[in-house]
Amino acid sequence: MANLKDIKRKISSVKNTEKTTRAMKLVSSAKLRRTEELAKRSRVYAEKLTSMIDEIALKIQSLGDSANSSVYFKNKENPKNIDIIFITADKGLCGGFNSQTLKRVNQLIDSLKADDVKIRLSAVGRKGIDYYKFNNIELSRKVIGLSAAPNYEDAASFISEISDEYASGKSDQIIMVHNGYVSMIAQKVKEDQVLPIDINRIEGKAKSDSELEIEPDDDNTLLDALVKRYVEYSMYYALLDSLAAEHAARMQAMDAATNNAKDMVKALSVKYNKARQEAITTELIEIISGMESMK
Amino acid sequence: MELMKLEIVTPEGVTYDADIKQVTLPGAEGEFGVLAGHATLVSLLKAGVITIETKDSKKLDVAINSGYVKVDESKVSCIVDGAVALTAGDNDIAKKIEEARNLLKSAQASDTAIAAAMGKVEHIGKSY
Repeated sequence: MANLKDIKRKISSVKNTEKTTRAMKLVSSAKLRRTEELAKRSRVYAEKLTSMIDEIALKIQSLGDSANSSVYFKNKENPKNIDIIFITADKGLCGGFNSQTLKRVNQLIDSLKADDVKIRLSAVGRKGIDYYKFNNIELSRKVIGLSAAPNYEDAASFISEISDEYASGKSDQIIMVHNGYVSMIAQKVKEDQVLPIDINRIEGKAKSDSELEIEPDDDNTLLDALVKRYVEYSMYYALLDSLAAEHAARMQAMDAATNNAKDMVKALSVKYNKARQEAITTELIEIISGMESMK
Repeated sequence: MELMKLEIVTPEGVTYDADIKQVTLPGAEGEFGVLAGHATLVSLLKAGVITIETKDSKKLDVAINSGYVKVDESKVSCIVDGAVALTAGDNDIAKKIEEARNLLKSAQASDTAIAAAMGKVEHIGKSY
């Protein structure tokens, strides 16, 4: 028979855990609301920027050979060096959020390694950094703190180093992996090719018939600025998206933990009452048999 | 008069979205006005003031730091880094002007361009 005192202690400890997980859930849901709002607003901007790039890309493509003039749109047949950027959270306790991203990154590495591609990893977020450190895999860049509090300047300076190397030809492709927000109860790992900008995805879209004028008309000035902005913003948006997903995942995980704690308190209470009843019954039997023997 | 759609989008969201008569934009190669039916154009925008003539012929100014604009026959989309609207009849216009001034100061542009834009903002401030 379990000790009454032990059970009681256990109940109060589980109750405390429940309080903590519930508080964490509340915090996450408040943060989620804020981040979601931020992500929603910047989504409009991201969409506009993308559609503008698409339009220019289409024009360049329709001009034929000048498509080769810009490195940003040129898809290499056999990329030799690929940069992978992945975003994880700084903190745990959010279910499978981080491990899903890492799993996808590992899959990607395996499939690329099979094609004999050199890969460089750039990590955002403590969890991913710790994971690769533990597995002795080298990371070329790492940032902590950015995924918990995305900020445009830091995001831009992080990605611009990588995109500069792309522009100078040191790498052939930049892929970004992050766990994105779908809804309050769902996240989805997204894998995006940041550079080169994939022209194929734009094809089939309606385009305006009239001639496109570009100012300043040595079109590299505009294109460079636009692509730089696009890359930076992709990074920033991915961070926001990932943060929203992180909070949603944590909310879910903490909700489940709270429910589990509740169930456990219930089960323990039943056990406690049974043990108490047993103790009383034993005592009664002792008293009665004592009285009987005195007769 | 024919109307066209104008959208001003910043990273903080859509700042302006309405049908308008005419808009003047601070292009990187000089200011230019756009009416409905303009040929397709993509341009860099520098720090300056977007002047809008609204549907009911009111004037509206929006100070911006930098950005891009895409014009086609029926629509003008401005994608800017930061924008402050200076509306006539606004009670806290002084505050708005101050905001606009800070916004322009933060722009990464040549001093002359910023000075010109500042001058414009001051002028707008006085006219209200």
